[in-house]
Amino acid sequence: MRKVSVDPITRLEGHGKIEIFVDDDNKVQNVYFQIPELRGFERFCVGRPVEELARITPRICGVCPEAHHMAATKAIDAVFGVEPTPTASMLRELLYQAFFVTDHTTHFYILAGPDFIMGPESDPAKRNILGVINKVGLETGGAVINLRSEAAELISMIGGKQIHPVCGLPGGVSTAITAEQRDRMVQITTGMIEFAKFSLQLFDDVVLGNNDYVDLIKSDAFTHATYNMGVVDANNKVNFYDGPIRVTGPDGAELEKFEGKDYLDHIAEHVEPYSYLTYPYLKSVGWKGFVDGMDSGVYRASPLSRLNASDGMATPLAQEAYERFYSTLGGKPVNATLATHWARLVELLYSAERAHELATDPEIINPDVRNIPTGIVGEGVGVVEAPRGTLYHHYKTDDKGMVTNVNLIVGTTNNNASISMSLKKAAEGLLTGGKEISEGTLNMIEMAFRAYDPCFGCATHTLPGDMPLEVVVKNETTHDVIAKAKRNM
Amino acid sequence: MTSCSTLVLGMGNSILSDDGVGLLVAERLRDSQLPGHVEVRLSEVAGLRLLELVRGFTHVIIIDALRSPADAGRDPGEIVRYESKDFKGGQRWGSAHSIGIDTALELGRKLGCDMPEDVTVFAIEAVDVETFGEELSPPVAAAAERVISMVREELGAA
Repeated sequence: MRKVSVDPITRLEGHGKIEIFVDDDNKVQNVYFQIPELRGFERFCVGRPVEELARITPRICGVCPEAHHMAATKAIDAVFGVEPTPTASMLRELLYQAFFVTDHTTHFYILAGPDFIMGPESDPAKRNILGVINKVGLETGGAVINLRSEAAELISMIGGKQIHPVCGLPGGVSTAITAEQRDRMVQITTGMIEFAKFSLQLFDDVVLGNNDYVDLIKSDAFTHATYNMGVVDANNKVNFYDGPIRVTGPDGAELEKFEGKDYLDHIAEHVEPYSYLTYPYLKSVGWKGFVDGMDSGVYRASPLSRLNASDGMATPLAQEAYERFYSTLGGKPVNATLATHWARLVELLYSAERAHELATDPEIINPDVRNIPTGIVGEGVGVVEAPRGTLYHHYKTDDKGMVTNVNLIVGTTNNNASISMSLKKAAEGLLTGGKEISEGTLNMIEMAFRAYDPCFGCATHTLPGDMPLEVVVKNETTHDVIAKAKRNM
Repeated sequence: MTSCSTLVLGMGNSILSDDGVGLLVAERLRDSQLPGHVEVRLSEVAGLRLLELVRGFTHVIIIDALRSPADAGRDPGEIVRYESKDFKGGQRWGSAHSIGIDTALELGRKLGCDMPEDVTVFAIEAVDVETFGEELSPPVAAAAERVISMVREELGAA
């Protein structure tokens, strides 16, 4: 490969960018993936009462406020050295599972669906949610909207507010639920299970029933053998709300299992001059560059990695779906990035079933929902699985509970290195020479990216709403733009 | 919600400097005397959640911060007014995180939701939406005052 000068790679303001450098034959030489950053988050938090962080951090981004609220609340428990009551933990988890149902559903039908249901190379004007609805039927669209509105109802019953929950307090939640509310939650979660089953069936029919898609999922261009990370319960089953973090290798064996509070002993962050966003990696393996395999500390934290890092699902129907997932794709671990979409649906079913278990547990209406803190530890880490990967909140305070230091590793940041690698490999696999680079080809490269459901809203603390992503293919020598696509992520 | 009602919707992020302007304007309007058919809401989210917020209203007035590309030549604090018709025809790529207002409206209508007939957007050209903070820049703070009058006029409450 000729030496490439990449001086146009400058740090960005305002939007994300994938730059693909090709030679005169349109063969890929390098791929750079960049996103912008917002400034001053830590400075904004320092000096405030730590309890406020459970209300501030959800405002970092409009996509997953519930995940930040939950990680923050757990970190604040630790700062005050107080455990929530059993019912408070159950209510927090129930809210959280309802959020997962909403988030995973939205991703599948709106973000992933267009690629599979319309086809990755279909007319971009129709490759969107409206095209999906036209194809699969209005009733499915209605079901998605209905599910979202029922989940929002459940979330607001516990969270106090629909969008930015305010229920989490050190040692518990602000209020218990009534028997009437519980009855409604049982009804809602029953509907969630049916919807999740329907979604898995749809995936079967549309994706697994199409050999081209199965080949695409299994293709080398979309495969990376990295380490996998995920929170597990005492039986090593997937857990979103609480438990140790387990890391397994590309060979499927456990590398390590650690408590959230010890994350800095296990995760370090690599920095590249062209990107604001760091590249976390496993300390015990080390940073070996943007490569996969046993010797590279690059890991993934995603629905796929959670399944790979666990020994199964803690609910019966999801466990069946988990077994089918691995038997269809050739055993554990599955390294096919696009299988993340299927893994997300297995998790959707787990969330729905687990929400139903919690709603039907007699203890859910126990009025004992708060342990009042009596002292202060002054430091705490809260970890949950966010839809996009493991979310770490780490706070330090003075002896009065005023914030002195904040560190966050958000779901998408975990995957920064593997997203970059997946983009490069997909580009290499799809741009095999020749002059014409179609929009459909660029879209397929982006599919490697969308599988992670990246949300840089909080990865870089950027603004909610439209965040344009630009894909530019340039000649490595002249820097002439050969192809370009821009869309809102 | 009545069948003939107006929603004033302030959008943005309350902790991202100028991105909070839409929320501030909406708060100020909520605290003022408005006609009975007007409801004011604040939203820090977009996409599908937006669809859920606007359904059932006849007319929606959105106030939000705007960041135009440098070549658009807009001045900080400049107020740009958009109408429903301005959204149409755009090829927007829907995503979980951010479907555009046009897609949200079209999707809602397709699904038989009661979607607003008219949407008016007052967008204020921001200086900084990338630094955490609760203060507005001077040109945006000045524009907020003007937008409040413009919305009140729109509502017949001037």
